[in-house]
Amino acid sequence: MYTSFRPALLLAAGMLALASCNKDDTVAPTPAAQSQTVTSLSAAGTASSTGQPIAAKHYTFFSLADGKQVAYTDSNSTKWDVAFRGTTILTNSGTSGPGQGGAQVQSKLFTEVVAAPTDGYAVDAAKPAIPTGSGQGWYNYNSTTHIITPIAGKVLVVRTATGKYAKLEIQNYYKDAPAAPSATSAPGYYTFRYVYQPSGTALQ
Amino acid sequence: MARSLTAPVLRVAPLALLASRALAQQAGVPVLADTLRRQHLGEVVVTATRTEKALTDVAIPVSVIGGKQIKSMGSLRLGDVLREQTGLSLVADHGQGIQLQGLNSEYTLILVDGEPLIGRTAGTLDLTRVAIGNIQRVEVVKGPASALWGSDALAGVVNIITQKPQPGLSGNLRARYGTNQTTDLSGTFNAGGERAGLTVFGNRYSSAGYTLQPESGTATIPPFASYTGQSRFTYSLSERTKFSLSGRYFIENQRSTAPITSEAGTTADVDLRSRQTDFSLNPTLTHRFGGDKVFATARLYYSRYHTQEAYTYAADGSYYDATYFTQSFLRPEVQVDYSPRLNQTLTLGAGYQRQTVEATRYDEQQQLANGYGYAQYDWSPLTKLNLVGGVRYDGPSQYAGQLSPKLAARYQLRPWLALRGSVGRGYRAPDFRQLYLNFSNPTVGYSVFGTHQVQAKVAQLAQQGQLASDPATGEPIVYQAALAQAGSLTAESSVATNLGFLLEPKLPNKDFSYRLTVNAFRNNLQNLIETTTVALKKNGQAVFSYRNVTRAYTQGLELENSLGLPHGFTLGAGYQYLVAKDQAVVDAVAAGTVFRRDPTTLETERVRPGDYGGLFNRSRHSWNAKLFYDNPAHGFTASLRAIYRGRYGFADSNANTILDAANEYVRGYLLLNVAASKTLGPRLSLQAGADNLTNYTDPAYISTLAGRLLYASVAIELGKKPVARTL
Repeated sequence: MYTSFRPALLLAAGMLALASCNKDDTVAPTPAAQSQTVTSLSAAGTASSTGQPIAAKHYTFFSLADGKQVAYTDSNSTKWDVAFRGTTILTNSGTSGPGQGGAQVQSKLFTEVVAAPTDGYAVDAAKPAIPTGSGQGWYNYNSTTHIITPIAGKVLVVRTATGKYAKLEIQNYYKDAPAAPSATSAPGYYTFRYVYQPSGTALQ
Repeated sequence: MARSLTAPVLRVAPLALLASRALAQQAGVPVLADTLRRQHLGEVVVTATRTEKALTDVAIPVSVIGGKQIKSMGSLRLGDVLREQTGLSLVADHGQGIQLQGLNSEYTLILVDGEPLIGRTAGTLDLTRVAIGNIQRVEVVKGPASALWGSDALAGVVNIITQKPQPGLSGNLRARYGTNQTTDLSGTFNAGGERAGLTVFGNRYSSAGYTLQPESGTATIPPFASYTGQSRFTYSLSERTKFSLSGRYFIENQRSTAPITSEAGTTADVDLRSRQTDFSLNPTLTHRFGGDKVFATARLYYSRYHTQEAYTYAADGSYYDATYFTQSFLRPEVQVDYSPRLNQTLTLGAGYQRQTVEATRYDEQQQLANGYGYAQYDWSPLTKLNLVGGVRYDGPSQYAGQLSPKLAARYQLRPWLALRGSVGRGYRAPDFRQLYLNFSNPTVGYSVFGTHQVQAKVAQLAQQGQLASDPATGEPIVYQAALAQAGSLTAESSVATNLGFLLEPKLPNKDFSYRLTVNAFRNNLQNLIETTTVALKKNGQAVFSYRNVTRAYTQGLELENSLGLPHGFTLGAGYQYLVAKDQAVVDAVAAGTVFRRDPTTLETERVRPGDYGGLFNRSRHSWNAKLFYDNPAHGFTASLRAIYRGRYGFADSNANTILDAANEYVRGYLLLNVAASKTLGPRLSLQAGADNLTNYTDPAYISTLAGRLLYASVAIELGKKPVARTL
């Protein structure tokens, strides 16, 4: 993996080269944060027989700290960090929850986000911290094929409900993460990987 | 446009004589004699300068496809002819369109006898609408021609020149039948007298269509039947004043059935009946003033295009949906050509055009008016040098005025070598959809407004409380910057450069002839129109409109060889190299901000500049090779044509919307087409042929390739035995 993008980095603008990949000059050593993968987390309602999206009644709440789903009845707590429904992703912040959450979207490789910034986080309001809409945040919508595709190279840097940091990359939006989703694939199933840092800002 | 040859043609006549095998036999005859000139300068074009000019003498790239060649190819519709030409690709997007110098079909103006065909769907003018049974020739101008022709002539112009009345009575009937029950019946009638002349053309074209993907439940091309009627009447009021009236009528009916899934998830078959009609009328008056130095043309063009579609449930015939679209176009225009000397012609023109559109998705009847004027000076300061400068100004009612200048030069470096170059601006006006659309998707809930009314519509939605509001301020969420851009939409434009040469050596053996044309082109496009989000609705959906943002370029090289061989053989070969890229993507890739995700491993990597393959649907390499055989003594013609289209981008598969991976390309393919015809006696001729001989198809990606198409046709000449036309 690293060897494959090293030439690209040499070509890339200096700013990026500085910001990434140089393992020596980043934050102080902290306990290694483990990369976790979640496959086909359902944020879908009762999918119709034709795969037409029918919005779920409730968000699907997820704790990055614990690496598991949280009951929607705990929505007004700091037990959850992110929540999914359809293409909308919430953080436990602002209008969404009582937590200290927030998010910012970075255009980088997942591995290049080596540390969470300490500021620049948006909180959920009428516009969620993670922008909605095709091409605005984490996905593109193809109006011809009606397929939702997570944009490559979008890393969601999340501040959790308790003020910790995590990075998250959405990889697929369809059930069982098909390589080529079609009109019959069931939408609203999140496959993503994330790194949660319980202390400090290091995210690798 | 029925103007006789002008001064510049006279000067190059000797060159043309040297060059052409047919003409070489006439060497030594005084070429200035009007009659000879009329007889022997066959390849005359009108689209490049809006005056008649010898093809070899124009300073910009023009190709001519003659009627004889079209017959020999066995083609039926305009798309069949154009897809075999160097530098042109047939693309399917709401009908068959043509890609020229790497630009989409909405950037090429399609004319019939110098007047535009109207009725584009999503920018594409469906070339299957145009029957070619009565075509004298097709002229293709490459490079922007807005300096003369105005909007849409950004990539170039295709001008279809129809038959003019000939002396005497004549006519023919032609019938053809082929694969997919494709039936084509046509007839022409010609009557020409001392002063008056008349041509009538009728055509019926029908097919059972074809289905490339049966599992989809819908036909790729559903069955259809179309009728074309075309007529021209000419009358010489005097030796100097001529009148002509042309008319065209086209109607096509199509019926198909497709399964449609409702929101509730139930699927039902829905019948679609569609009809499109296209009508035009074009009276023209020309007058040659005393001394023959001034030639004036006054023309009026009216055209109307109408479509209607009715959707009903197949089970019980009950209503599902219905749509219609009506466009009209009216244009009076005058043009004066003034040739004070043999080596200069000044062309001045002015006109006014008024278009209206009325459709299901527009509020009310919308109008677009445009007054314009153009001037062109065609000057040969030296016998070897020809300069053409032109400029046109369009003052449209709904967007900013457009000034389109152009400069072209041709220099005869050696008797066998001419250099030519041109620089010009082309533009394409925002279309009706971009100006006036008023559409809200009933199931998904988003809205699209044309820029003409987007500000009023957004204000209205805000007032009705339909927009999402920002809880911090309570204000509706409107993207003011995008909205301002949408409100001031202007034309898309390009500045293009074409540079090349024309090589026509005099070969020692008169049985051989050779011509090579080479042209390098670069189109810098700016202000390309794309959709943009201008506001957010309460239902979470967006309000869309249009804005000018994208910059792109296309560049490439085109070569065309023609080799005349003994015994009636002609060998042609053409090649185009093309690169077309979105400038914003080029910049973003260079900055390292574009990534891709392998859809299987889900690993993401950065896209490198070398990975970016440019705009979708462009082939880097395309070529053709054609062998024509003509044996007039035995009434036998034949042709074998090979058309190659190199691989081209189809769609993104790795989550970055751009073309950057091998599996995002459609495989390149080769089409082999053959045709042969034989006359049996003075009146009867037979033709048979096969298009796509190797039966190449790519059902998932290429809807326009139906597989092998076999056909046979019979033609009968009527009236007096036809004689060779004498122009």
